[in-house]
Amino acid sequence: MASLTTDLAPLLLGVLLAATGAGKAFGRQVAGQAAGTVLVRVLNDGRRATRVLRSTGAVELVVAAGLLAAPTTTVPGIAAAALGVGFLGYLGYARATAPESSCGCTARSDGPITWRAFVRAGLVVVGGAAAAGARTPWWTQGVRHPSASLAFLVVTTAVLAAVSSDLDHLWLVPLRRTRLRIFGHPLVPGRDEEVPVAASVELLERSLAWVAAAPVVRSGLIDHWEADGWRFLQFAGVHDPDGAARPVTVLFAVDPRATKDTTDRPAVRVTLVDDRTDEPVAVDLLA
Amino acid sequence: MTGRNGIDRRRLLTSAALGGATIVGASALGGLDAEAAFAAPMPSLDPAISRSSFVDGRVGRIKGSTLDVVEADGTHRLIRLTNATSVWKLETVTAEAIETGDGLYARGVEMPDGSVAADAVWVNIVNLYVTVRGIERTRLHLSHGRTTLVGNIVDKRTTASFRGGALTSNLSQLKIGHHAQVLGAWRPADDSVDIARISVGH
Repeated sequence: MASLTTDLAPLLLGVLLAATGAGKAFGRQVAGQAAGTVLVRVLNDGRRATRVLRSTGAVELVVAAGLLAAPTTTVPGIAAAALGVGFLGYLGYARATAPESSCGCTARSDGPITWRAFVRAGLVVVGGAAAAGARTPWWTQGVRHPSASLAFLVVTTAVLAAVSSDLDHLWLVPLRRTRLRIFGHPLVPGRDEEVPVAASVELLERSLAWVAAAPVVRSGLIDHWEADGWRFLQFAGVHDPDGAARPVTVLFAVDPRATKDTTDRPAVRVTLVDDRTDEPVAVDLLA
Repeated sequence: MTGRNGIDRRRLLTSAALGGATIVGASALGGLDAEAAFAAPMPSLDPAISRSSFVDGRVGRIKGSTLDVVEADGTHRLIRLTNATSVWKLETVTAEAIETGDGLYARGVEMPDGSVAADAVWVNIVNLYVTVRGIERTRLHLSHGRTTLVGNIVDKRTTASFRGGALTSNLSQLKIGHHAQVLGAWRPADDSVDIARISVGH
């Protein structure tokens, strides 16, 4: 089994590096992708970052060719392991200095650096070390133990897919969909769902009371609570009846069960309370 | 709890409101509809609004009710919070909920000393167009362009609106593959988003 692993490692690693290397070397969006990586900051130049990313791709392609064509020589394996160590160092540096930067690991990905990127780079190191120990070419090994080789390839490909966020749409999303189908929707509503405060505010903002009080209201929602069957929504405002502006609390009270789905014309109580005296201000907002 | 949002203050305001409030609604206004309301003379333009200034940056330091906000270009702006400042951080909160490092968007009036007296402050607010990629009991997996992110479902805070309907806390109509708009608060600690509102089919 150990020899099977080391003998097939060049094939797996070769295909992986060929795919990611081709993406980096010839991908159309590499320039845009490079712009999101930490390379730009290190090299201080977007074009140079693109060139570095493309050359890395070319190196990956050369190593991949070596792994696939001359699997029993140690040089390609060691080169691949060195590449993996380089990736790990780069990821560690980027993660430490610019955690929001993009990984730039594969051609498609422009997501931030996650643990999956580290695992993948780690696998390149391990794979490279294993490939360096290959004694039999992978094509001979494949002919000798076809079923074991196939099983090994399937399992390792699955592991690689699991650590590549690029491939999520192929397996992870369908898996989640199936889980919902089997176990049902996890967000079933509770027995008596309260109307969210945001829905009351939404209803208020579409009401005539809001339009009438708009010249007074100066803030967003400051506080809310329920009392005596009403939901109170508190705003801050300025009441300026005769040029003498005074700060007021604008209080709206709405039916806590009403939403814009249940009523078009909500009944809304509007009160202005003088902030200095705490006395209600007598004012006819509709006048 | 005391202070501006204290229970005593609420009690006082409640009794004031229930005592002599103007009731605006169908009963008081008869057949008036929204169109009629807009036909009424518009209020004069508020001078305070035209003087509004906006500040967008990260909270560098908090000293009492003053926030030192660093804008993207490195400029420092002082934001003063008052009793009349509304603070949003996933929901309406008090100023104590603001932390150093938070992203902040404030609207207010510029004072003679250069500081801004804020009317409203939005903390870590994000507005994203996403695709739903996974649904769990406490979180949604979302993709925004090619990046993936986690949207946390916060009990009693997260609301949803389907096809223009009213906001509801019932999220059972959400489906994988839905395109949605998410309004929420970014969580700097783990780079996820607490969802305030997810709108589908608008």
